[in-house]
Order: sequence, then C-alpha cells, then structure tokens
Amino acid sequence: MNGTVVKNQLIFDFASGILGPAKSIFASTYLQLNSSASRLSNTFEGILGDNLMNNVDIAPKSLKYSDCINNDTIKAEHPVKDPITSFFGDLNNLNWKQVYKGFNEFTASIEDKDELKLIKMDPGVSVPLHSHGGKEYILVLEGSFRDEYGEYSKGDIQINDQKIKHTPIASKDTGCVCLSITEKDVIFFGKYGSFLNLFTFIKSFFKQK
Amino acid sequence: MEKAHLTNLMKKIQKDRDELAFSEIFDFFAPKVNAYFIQNNIKFESSEELTQEVLSTVWVKSNLYEPEKSALSTWIFTIARNKKIDFYRKNSKIDFREEDIRDFLYQDKEVDPVEESETNKQIEQINNQLNEQQKIMIKMNFFENKSHKKIAEELEIPLGTVKSRIRHILKNVQKMLV
Repeated sequence: MNGTVVKNQLIFDFASGILGPAKSIFASTYLQLNSSASRLSNTFEGILGDNLMNNVDIAPKSLKYSDCINNDTIKAEHPVKDPITSFFGDLNNLNWKQVYKGFNEFTASIEDKDELKLIKMDPGVSVPLHSHGGKEYILVLEGSFRDEYGEYSKGDIQINDQKIKHTPIASKDTGCVCLSITEKDVIFFGKYGSFLNLFTFIKSFFKQK
Repeated sequence: MEKAHLTNLMKKIQKDRDELAFSEIFDFFAPKVNAYFIQNNIKFESSEELTQEVLSTVWVKSNLYEPEKSALSTWIFTIARNKKIDFYRKNSKIDFREEDIRDFLYQDKEVDPVEESETNKQIEQINNQLNEQQKIMIKMNFFENKSHKKIAEELEIPLGTVKSRIRHILKNVQKMLV
C-alpha cells in the first residue's frame, strides 16, 4: 500500500469535513504536530475556499446581516488547549489499562465505527509480530518507535493494512506514546499469537453487548 | 469581488467593528454559504440557520482571522465546514462536538511569511493547471461531498472512470506540492 496516498486522503477528507469523530480527532492532532501535513491541509482548504468564492448564490429568504451582529449564541472565547489535552485531559491522570508489562492503552469512548486509542510503551518494549484485519493508523505523540519499515518519531504517522506484518519496538531512551485508529482488530502471530488473538476475539464479544 | 477588497473589509471589522463593511461581506458570502449547505444535502430551513451561525462567527470571532495566513474565503469555508460537521453529527445523534479543537488549529500559530506566500502560490498554480472537468470533479467530490457514484451519474461517465480520474487529480496535486 502507498502510505503517502492514504495519509493525504486523510488530510483531504479532514479538509472537506467528512471524517467521523475518531478520525477527526486523529487528523487534528496530526495537523498540529506535523507542519508539512498542516501545509498540505492549508493548501487544500485554500482550493475549497476558492470554490466557495466562486460558488453559485442561493440567497437566504429571511436572514439579514443585522441578525448576525445581534446573535449572542456565538461566544468570542478562544480555545487554548491542544487537541489531545482538550480531549483526553492530562495523560498522566488517565486510567491506563495494562495489556501486558510495559504496554498500556486507553480507549476513548466515542460513538464511532473506528476505535481511537492512546498507546503507551515503556522504553525498549516491543509488540509481538502482528498484522491487521483492517487499517490501523499510528501517530507518535511523544518519544519514538521503530519497526522493520523505519523509525517513527513525534508527528510521524504510520498506516498499516492486512499486507503488513511488523514488530514495533519503543525507543530504549524515551519509550513512546502514540495515538491510534483501528478500523478492525489486529491479528497476532508467533509465540503468544494464538493467546492474543483469543483475547481480541473475546474482547469483541464484550464490545457487542 | 476582489479578494483584496474582501480582506480590507475584514480589517475594518477587526479594527473598528465596522457594520457597513460587515454588511458587504454578508451580501457577498451569505448566498454562497447557504448554497454550500444545500449542495451538501441540508434542507433550506436548516441551511439558513447554519448560514446565520457562520456569518455570526465571522462577526464575533473576527480577530481569529489572519489576513497574512489565508484568503478570507478560506477562513469562511473552514467555519462553514465545521458547522456542517456538527450539524451532521447532531442529526445522527452522535453526541460529540470538537469545534474547539478544530478552532485551535487556526489560532496562535506563528506565521512564516515565506511559507504562506508559498502556499498561496501553490493554490494558484494548482488552480491554473487543473482543467475544467478536473475542477468540477474536485468541487463535486470535496466541496459538495458527493459520492463517486453520484458524480458518475451526473457527469454521465462510468464509475471506474470517476474513481481513476479523481485518484489521478489527487496524485497531481500532491506532485505539485512537493
């Protein structure tokens, strides 16, 4: 799979406003941390802005400009927190769930078909070789990790699909915190593979309830 | 209407809360924003309410707009798009609004003038290089958010052709951005 195409698709979809809640949070964070992604998004929004500029006119029937000046439902305050903090709060105070030693996750409660998760890996911890049932998007928030395909640090994004099997390892010095989107559960291979697959299988039952 | 003129009107609002300048911006943008919502499958009454919210935001949050950073039409587009997202979610009973987060992306960012003029040049360059049909497809797909199937029906071309042409356009856009 061409990762660049999927990354850019995410940015274009964000700019057009068609992402679900989970991917929308993910994309906002990506744009905040990655300046080249943010530039691409600005450019694309500029193109869509030109579309608005040249759009046809369908005049509102009863709306006057004075209705907009005297509308006090819109408040002037500005948001001051970044996407992650305003959504999750302080990451240190989260109720992290340990999946196994050195690997913790926190799943956001959002109504969406995609699952949004925070993943925290201690320095040097690795994830057993696995592939993915659906697409998985990983964005590094702090620290870094590497796998068979390269090294990923703050603001980098990795997109995995069925074809990719990999063994991510968190940096020995910093560990890493990542934001992830999973479209479907992952499939594990190797020593603990069958156990972990059983675990995800059982987990999916609880989710359906 | 010239982009530079619109920016000047906006500066008057920011500086003097100039209502006359706002009425001119309103007259130009309200019908286009209203059309945008209708193109995005929102019924007339709701589209008018949303248009009011968009233009009210332009007035109330006028100081969030940074003329060096983007054209006024771009800023107003992002406000309208955000209202559309919230409207869709409200209607599908998804209790989730992150308007603040989306707003955050447009505030307090340092503006690098070289980079910004680079972005504006790129937008112009892309607009110049796309042919009419490509422009229509971008509009239908990303501005009006029509499905590939709907686009195929309206332009009377096969679905596969729509998919491959849009992929081709996006690839070219990416190339121009490198």
